[in-house]
Amino acid sequence: MGLVNKNEKSGAVARGYRLGKLGFRLVGSYVGYQAQNLLLGEGERAQRRARFQQKASRRVRDELAALKGPAMKLGQLLSMQTEMLPEEALRELANLQMRAPGMHASLARAQFKSSLGKYPEEMFREFDPEPFAAASLGQVHRAVTRDGEKAAVKIQYPAIRSAIENDFKLLRSATLPGQLSGHVPAALLDEIQRGILEETDYLREADNLEFFGKGLSGLEYVAIPRAHRELTTDRVLTMSYIEGETLSDLLKRKPSQAFRDLLGARLIEMYETQIQRLKALHADHHPGNYLFQPNGSVGLIDFGCVKRISFDVSELRRCYRRRTWRESEASARRFLALAYGRSVPYARARKILPLLEQWCDILYPQDVTADLVIDFRGDPRLESKLKEIRQQHRKRVLQDKLINPEFAFLMRADLGLHYLLRELGATINISEVWRRVSTAPAVGRHGCAFRAPPKAVT
Amino acid sequence: MKRKTGRAQARTTRGKRVENKEKTRRAILRAALELFAGKGFYHTTTKAISRKAGIAEGTLFNYFETKEDLALYFFEQELVEVIEWYERDRRVKRAALAEKLFAIIHHFLERLAPYEEFIGAVYLRALAPASKLSPWSLQTQERNLRYLRFIRGILAEAEAAGEFPPVGDFGAYAFGLFHLAIITYWLRDRSRGKEQTLALLDRCLKLGAHVLRKGWDW
Ligand SMILES: Nc1ncnc2c1ncn2[C@@H]1O[C@H](COP(=O)(O)OP(=O)(O)OP(=O)(O)O)[C@@H](O)[C@H]1O
Ligand SMILES: [Mg+2]
Repeated sequence: MGLVNKNEKSGAVARGYRLGKLGFRLVGSYVGYQAQNLLLGEGERAQRRARFQQKASRRVRDELAALKGPAMKLGQLLSMQTEMLPEEALRELANLQMRAPGMHASLARAQFKSSLGKYPEEMFREFDPEPFAAASLGQVHRAVTRDGEKAAVKIQYPAIRSAIENDFKLLRSATLPGQLSGHVPAALLDEIQRGILEETDYLREADNLEFFGKGLSGLEYVAIPRAHRELTTDRVLTMSYIEGETLSDLLKRKPSQAFRDLLGARLIEMYETQIQRLKALHADHHPGNYLFQPNGSVGLIDFGCVKRISFDVSELRRCYRRRTWRESEASARRFLALAYGRSVPYARARKILPLLEQWCDILYPQDVTADLVIDFRGDPRLESKLKEIRQQHRKRVLQDKLINPEFAFLMRADLGLHYLLRELGATINISEVWRRVSTAPAVGRHGCAFRAPPKAVT
Repeated sequence: MKRKTGRAQARTTRGKRVENKEKTRRAILRAALELFAGKGFYHTTTKAISRKAGIAEGTLFNYFETKEDLALYFFEQELVEVIEWYERDRRVKRAALAEKLFAIIHHFLERLAPYEEFIGAVYLRALAPASKLSPWSLQTQERNLRYLRFIRGILAEAEAAGEFPPVGDFGAYAFGLFHLAIITYWLRDRSRGKEQTLALLDRCLKLGAHVLRKGWDW
């Protein structure tokens, strides 16, 4: 990978070149790998697959690491929203630090003024010219508002939106082979592009903060930043500062099991409230987006990537628990249409059922009368079994072109939460949380009725 | 009070005259800039300028023969201001070289922003080799030298601090050309808040700093 050190060239051309190559390699070689399947025997195939995945994941990491800019965001979203990349590549991607180039104080001020018309020191009581955190599209500064409130000011690197638009033009041409073969649906690219471009609009993020702030206000332990509209534009987001520490910092202080269980149940309650009641989900399960406080309150930040859920999640869960596809062919058709969409022929989709049975045996034990209690400290055997099922599922999905972005997205979101809970090592009565969520009043405790998700929610 | 000697008095009177003249020049420039920002460069008449500055139109030509002379004077004043600003701004003075250079060009652009149309017009004229505004005209050399010394001083500090290998006087010339290029880009930049210029400026300076440190072989 000599390229990686040599090419720190910036600019659309160099970036596009790299991105194009990345696209060709990934898509090209995945198609090539599928062709090999036809020619090779079982054992050799497994070996080759392992080798391919290792190489592919290293490539993805190296290529994306050298790209640095918005393209990294792309990789992150690709990995988040789809089942397209191999497990190893996903892990590498999750470990990557997706960062826009840093801005020195003079540039951050200039960009602030370019967007708000005044310098930060003219609009805040205090403004720290040095950022305290990096963001994927910019950086975050501490500030104190005129009213004396602590604030976090997220400033976007200049002109990042047009850089992303350029990247996409090239990505489209680079993934053309995949699009033609049907392995990378054009609709998926559209969806990802829209998602990323929306993340560049901080006004939407402010809308999201408002929506989720209201929607989750019934859970008194949740802290969500409040946007300061008069100090916010599409490229600068000023919001209240959320105190707290990250999960890994919290765990260093060895909290009691009871505390872990409490936090775990709360995380699930937040998640379920979002998908069942709000029909919209904070979609960035980066562990850094959760900030924990010693009193058990949970801060949730970073609402750049939010997903509207048109999917009937409770229906899906009901199917899982009852194994409805066993009842009749009509039920099986109904279930598969729900999970993979109506356009996929039944004969093709049906082949996935044995895998889903295994998946359900672990996550949705059939004994419906007993509560589902999961110990997330985990049985490593179950863990590796789940991983294997996921891998096979992904392979099937790719081979049989069953990609349904929304279903894939939900599976990944479930997984993100799952990893978080494993790290926490909590034991949780899931059924109890589900019951609590489904019987909670539809109106927040502070009397605000749920509105339909704002347009910003995709 | 001590009586002034004749010679000293003559000097003071001359000094006063120079000072007054300078005051009028500034008043004219201020009036002109205000009108440029409001009505635009092309729609501003010399009559309007003199009226606004409170002088006779004929007097105006004693100070500035053409609009080009006005522009020359404007840039001189701007340079003086930027140098003074730089000396005052303690945060920028402590910053790394790339940031210093960014801040200097950005400060220039901020000051030029209200007069964009005027600057654009001046730029077009400066392209003509015979123009007084051309970077090669003798009239601009004094200002250019001042600018080059200013930048050279900043580069020399960074060299002394070991931020990058010595580039001699060439560095200041190169930066001056870059500065002109950025202004041209800025004039054509139609992005909101001219953020494309910010991005370009930042990337170029980072790249430049990188090349200077590591050499071209990268
Ligand atoms: N309201 C806030 N209060 C406290 N810290 C915050 C707040 N908003 C952001 N931060 C800090 O800034 C970091 C980056 O912010 P955020 O996650 O919103 O940016 P991002 O562009 O979405 O980046 P990424 O995609 O990497 O999550 C957070 O991890 C957190 O440390
Ligand atoms: Mg984010």
